[in-house]
Amino acid sequence: MRQAGIDIGSRTVKLALIEDNHLIFARKTFTSHDPLETALSLVREVKYDTITATGYGRHLVKDFLECSVISEIKAFAMGARAILPRCRLILDIGGQDTKAISLSESGEMNKFEMNDRCAAGTGRFLEVMAVALGYSLDEFSKAALLAKREEQINSTCTVFAESEVISLTARGAARHEVALGIHKAIVSRSIALLRRVSASQEVFFAGGVALNDCVRALIGRELNVPVFVPPDPQIVGAFGAALHAAGWNGNVRTVSGAVES
Amino acid sequence: MHTKVTVEPLIDDEYRGEPPTKRVLAYLQAQREEGAKIVGIYCGYAPVELIRAFDLVPASLCAFSNATIEAAEAHLPANLCPLIKSSYGYILKDVCPFFAMSDAVIAETTCDGKKKMFELIADRKSMHVMDLPQLPDEPEALDNWTAMIHKLRRFLESVFDRTATDDQIEGAIKLANERTRWVNRIFDYTALDPPVIAWPELNEALFLAQSASSEDMASILDGVVKKLEKRKRDGFVYGPTGAPRVMVTGCPVGGDALKVLDTIEKAGGVIVALESCSGSKPYAEFIEEDTGDPIRAIAARYLKIPCACMTPNTRRFIEIDRLIQRFKPDAVVDVVLQACHGFNIESVRVGEHVQQKHGLPFLKILTDFSQSDVGQIRTRVEALLETVPVRQACDEAFHRCKEEKT
Repeated sequence: MRQAGIDIGSRTVKLALIEDNHLIFARKTFTSHDPLETALSLVREVKYDTITATGYGRHLVKDFLECSVISEIKAFAMGARAILPRCRLILDIGGQDTKAISLSESGEMNKFEMNDRCAAGTGRFLEVMAVALGYSLDEFSKAALLAKREEQINSTCTVFAESEVISLTARGAARHEVALGIHKAIVSRSIALLRRVSASQEVFFAGGVALNDCVRALIGRELNVPVFVPPDPQIVGAFGAALHAAGWNGNVRTVSGAVES
Repeated sequence: MHTKVTVEPLIDDEYRGEPPTKRVLAYLQAQREEGAKIVGIYCGYAPVELIRAFDLVPASLCAFSNATIEAAEAHLPANLCPLIKSSYGYILKDVCPFFAMSDAVIAETTCDGKKKMFELIADRKSMHVMDLPQLPDEPEALDNWTAMIHKLRRFLESVFDRTATDDQIEGAIKLANERTRWVNRIFDYTALDPPVIAWPELNEALFLAQSASSEDMASILDGVVKKLEKRKRDGFVYGPTGAPRVMVTGCPVGGDALKVLDTIEKAGGVIVALESCSGSKPYAEFIEEDTGDPIRAIAARYLKIPCACMTPNTRRFIEIDRLIQRFKPDAVVDVVLQACHGFNIESVRVGEHVQQKHGLPFLKILTDFSQSDVGQIRTRVEALLETVPVRQACDEAFHRCKEEKT
């Protein structure tokens, strides 16, 4: 028996396939202007018995696919818990939204907070700033890690922060120090979100931005907690949705590939 | 699944299916044609029993339309309660029929935004501002609010050149209590498991009560009860089988803000309690009868209204407890309108109370009257309802059930 989970985000669509609760296939693609078609064509590539959809576009596919639907909160909670059974606090920074979820000891969703209205604090923020500074995303994070001090960014808005970045570099500010300032800005927003759902504890860090080593290091340093990033941080939602399609009851012993406590 | 039952609309007239404001407007226009005078009110604290004792008809001026907000933002800050902006926008554009037909307007010093907005409209109509005490448990609060209601009486006497005797006020008190009893009889049908009626359908049935006299409401409410009894006999279930029961609390919801209630229903929930001024708050208490001091009795009742402008707002938590006990919700949603600091800050305690004392999942929704956040609200509501242990049907079935409504 195979189950599929599809996470239809506003920037990327992720598909996960599981067998016996074990991830056997994962694929990501850009959503494009036609999320429905992108999702359907991804799904057509694979064979499965049941499928669950999650993410921003989850209701779009309901009329075209025999599927269940769960919120991305539940999908991330299930996915994170399956990968890291001791997980109690999840941070997902995606392309256009950010969420923080706290779980009870038994893995139930306790509190969640989402920022899905403002680009500041999301992957978009980092993308825009990387371009403004002339870095690739990879170079951006490495540069920030090299800086000994940061140039503080005062604007909260992505658009105004971009202007601020440009005027800083025009005045001769060191690019890598501006880069660190940007990384600190996104981290402070993420931490504010985390604080609203839980006291400081180990963070399960998911979403595309989890691949950014500087953000990861800064969160750990600022909160003084371990930060766990799964091998494929972007697939957590789709993986959780697939587990839901499999009727996973939350018993972490039935998930192979889970990280031991 | 649902049994096949023919469900009649609760009020079967030419306004069925229309926004309930149309029915109220028609009622007020008919009253006016018969020579009645109208008093515009902005708040649940306006003592309508006194207004009715004067044989005047109250009309709510609280607007819930997103359409007039743009006009209001020419003067008012964008970062302000949408209710205030909407109401002001209507007046600025001179398109509010309720304001137009009001012969006088009553205002209360509830929150900053309202207080200052009232200043901007003060010279358009005869307006009387009442100073609402905000520490309701202090003994002076009752004395002061009683004094304010006496002042209101004098204002109404002067504007309308008529009086209301203590007996007439006492009469209005009794009629109000009678109406409260009727409405609570209707709420009994929401308390059923499964319910045969819920909000927002309830909202439609009760909306007219803002303006209609108890005599006029009596036959309507009687008709509603009879129809609900029939629903119960026929085994009608409001909402999907096994739907999670939701209590909504917080700021008033109406008009364009009904998107929150609609979203909860689309996500498969059924709203069994609405703890707000647009819901059950007006019917939560009785006014003490035959005290010999009807104005003081009215004042005492009104000070019990648990608005977040009050501090400490202990009664909100008592009311939440009462409603949880009566309606047995599975989850609680606290609706806070954008820029409403009172309800927003109070939400911290409400959340703790609901989760810790009652062990219920809790969600705060911060919103306005626009449609731009409907998707975001839905995601949050779905996440909330996913934490409610499934009642009868399995997860799959109740997602399919709600698809029928989408």
